Amino acid sequence: MALHSARGKLISVIGDEDTCVGFLLGGVGEINKNRHPNFMVVDKNTPVSEVEDCFRRFVKRDDIDIILINQNCAELIRHVIDAHTSPVPAVLEIPSKDHPYDASKDSILRRARVSFLKAIVISLVCNIWFSFQGMFNPEDLV
Amino acid sequence: MPTTKENIGNLLDALYLEMLDLIEQQTVCRVNIERLMNNGQLMLAKTRYIQGSQTICSAQLPTENSNTFSALCEVVQQQNDTKISNVEFTSIRHTVDKEKEFVEPMQWFTSLPPSSLRSASELFKKCLDFVLESANIQRELIAVMKHIETLKRHKEITI
Repeated sequence: MALHSARGKLISVIGDEDTCVGFLLGGVGEINKNRHPNFMVVDKNTPVSEVEDCFRRFVKRDDIDIILINQNCAELIRHVIDAHTSPVPAVLEIPSKDHPYDASKDSILRRARVSFLKAIVISLVCNIWFSFQGMFNPEDLV
Repeated sequence: MPTTKENIGNLLDALYLEMLDLIEQQTVCRVNIERLMNNGQLMLAKTRYIQGSQTICSAQLPTENSNTFSALCEVVQQQNDTKISNVEFTSIRHTVDKEKEFVEPMQWFTSLPPSSLRSASELFKKCLDFVLESANIQRELIAVMKHIETLKRHKEITI
């Protein structure tokens, strides 16, 4: 990690109290000149629409490069996260105090796994097809 | 772009292997993030136990009505030709300087931070390093998947 005078881009956080407090202690928090914070504390009373609006706002902001979101919050707005395919801002799903990380729910890892499984299935089907053709050569039946 | 069907097949195999490797790296990185976050949250709980439950809560966090301040930890994108995505995130950390609006976050919670709060802060700082590593792996994974899709389309045209 370099000590710098130049300005970079931000890491934003959407998550429960402990996640936000922790990462803000790490130094990612900012309230800019327009008084827009780059973090949002989500509790059990926070409406899903508010989480969704905040996520969309962070995606639109050009000063944010990474969005950290608790996986349980990401589950609430899965359709919006799945629709976000651009590499920047990178959306990282992180665990929370009450919900451990589950790789099977992660948007990107799920896409990668599906792509890999598809390739394996196609390769298996091709192998079976060619060995099947080898077993029953039409010329043998004549 | 490779021309023959065999070349495309070989390249696809290499990309699938790379993808598997990246998935493994991502899993290891996420385990580290989870471990550091759990330890950090344990330290926050310890601080609450020592200083009282209201010391560390979201009510202490700055709001839209608070003074403006800048992030101490930021990210920059750097060109890296060894990567498939050609870029990677690196972090920059600013020193605390109130005149330039770089404030110490621990001061929001208490003027005399206990050692447990300092430990929590250090653990979350370390966690941010893994967050950047994870973001780089994720970016690479997306680039590999894009390449695979492009090659598949190219293979269909070649055949």
